[in-house]
Amino acid sequence: MRFDHNIMIHINNLSYRYPDGTLTLEGVDISIDRGEFVAIMGPNGCGKTTLVRHLNALLMPTAGSVSVFGMDTKDMSKVWNIRQTVGMVFQNPQTQFVGTTLEEDVAFGPENLGLPQNEIRKRVDRALLEVRLMEYKTHAPKTLSGGQMQRAAIAGVLAMEPECIVFDEVTSMLDPESRQMILDTIQQLHQSGKTIIYVTQRIEEILPLADRIVSMQDGRIEFMGTPHEYLASVGSHVPAITSLMRKLKEKGFDVRDDVFAVDDAFLEIIKACRMVEKENIDDE
Amino acid sequence: MNELFLSYIPKNSPLHRLDPRTKLVALMVISIFVLQTVTFSGLGLFAASFIMLAYFSRVNAGTFSHSIQPMLVFFVFIFLMHLFLTEGEIIFRIGPFRPTFDGLITGTIVTTRFMLLILFASLFTATTRPTMIAYGIERMIRFVPLKRIGISSFDIATMMSLSIRFVPVLLDNARQIRYAQISRGLDIRHNILRSVSTTITPMIRESLQTADDLAIAMESRCYQGKYRTSLFELRMGAMDWGVLGGISCVVFLFFLLR
Repeated sequence: MRFDHNIMIHINNLSYRYPDGTLTLEGVDISIDRGEFVAIMGPNGCGKTTLVRHLNALLMPTAGSVSVFGMDTKDMSKVWNIRQTVGMVFQNPQTQFVGTTLEEDVAFGPENLGLPQNEIRKRVDRALLEVRLMEYKTHAPKTLSGGQMQRAAIAGVLAMEPECIVFDEVTSMLDPESRQMILDTIQQLHQSGKTIIYVTQRIEEILPLADRIVSMQDGRIEFMGTPHEYLASVGSHVPAITSLMRKLKEKGFDVRDDVFAVDDAFLEIIKACRMVEKENIDDE
Repeated sequence: MNELFLSYIPKNSPLHRLDPRTKLVALMVISIFVLQTVTFSGLGLFAASFIMLAYFSRVNAGTFSHSIQPMLVFFVFIFLMHLFLTEGEIIFRIGPFRPTFDGLITGTIVTTRFMLLILFASLFTATTRPTMIAYGIERMIRFVPLKRIGISSFDIATMMSLSIRFVPVLLDNARQIRYAQISRGLDIRHNILRSVSTTITPMIRESLQTADDLAIAMESRCYQGKYRTSLFELRMGAMDWGVLGGISCVVFLFFLLR
């Protein structure tokens, strides 16, 4: 296969069967560009987690192939390269915290890479600054909140300097405030040029951020496209704001029904109201 | 268990600054000597040196008493065993109980020895980060050919620091399972056996799940169980060599005088 430098991850006709025989992925094709923000959505058990665990060679395809920057994940000699390129943050902050203090945890990845001590120190400090946890660096995990631990997990991945970071339902165990903080951090990482793959069940948190939405159902891709295309095509699973706009449109108001941000909806509604006012004046 | 038992107390003292390997060697030598001591004056010497070191460590005395407390039952038990079961001159008789003077003396000596062992161990853990202990041990056993049995010194060090990290997590899990079951009507006081069995099954399942999640997280951060470096570099300073030299002199003199 030709190696295109702009393609970060190429998934070709991927199928995966668990050792017990259940088929969890079937014929999945996705190509993810460098610097792209892709959200993967779908209900529990649709195969989202199974899919992303292929991206850094935690799982091997039963059929088809996954390649990262042209490196096939089946190539055992490339496994450590691939895992360095694609970092992964998981759902439960508690079970991915390895160190006895925050800085030791962030250092875990670079230590595994066998980097010299001063380089590890530099990377740990840089990563802690990026997630704004510098002042907690000698804290033990039991003194950190769930949100802080999850940001620590992000720092742990950043310290390995990956090109791409996969977030697997990282906000599902957090309170709203910590969730927003994590989302802000992720957006910032995306702006700094990282490729982001974000698995979630919450449509509303991801529509404003993602370049592309992939919606999955029973191990297959059901929809793939931009957030606006998603809203235009999928009927049921939409944010509250979008439902409101749809209802207004049904009642005859001239508004777009593919908006999801409060500000956009506000502008649309104001515009529609002005229109109604103007019509009334014209009638008189 | 008491969370302060053998815990690390961050301070800036000469003892904290020593290399963990130096402290490990010192702890081993001291332990061997303490176990060999049979006289009160000898034990007194160790007690005095403990107090001196504890003073230098800047760790407050409460920490050490927290480390002694959970072991008190054990100490009392050992003392009583010796008091009543040693042959010799009888102090008094109450029914079948016949404490002896010899028992009193050996009991005191043996109990004091154990107390000193715990105190020195807690001095070591109070002045050394858990990771540094693990890393120090890793460096000391790196030359042992563990490969033959399929593990590396790095595996052992990682296992040790993971145990330190996850014991509180598992205790927390156990507590949650317990509450869940009490809230569903399990009477723990009247049915101890049942409460143990109903707690243990979900505990094991949960621990395996935790271990599984942890393994995946570690693997995706490139953990290979092979050579790895550390955020904290171990460096033997002048003081470390001084301490080790001092220990060697004492050991040498001891054998010379015997």
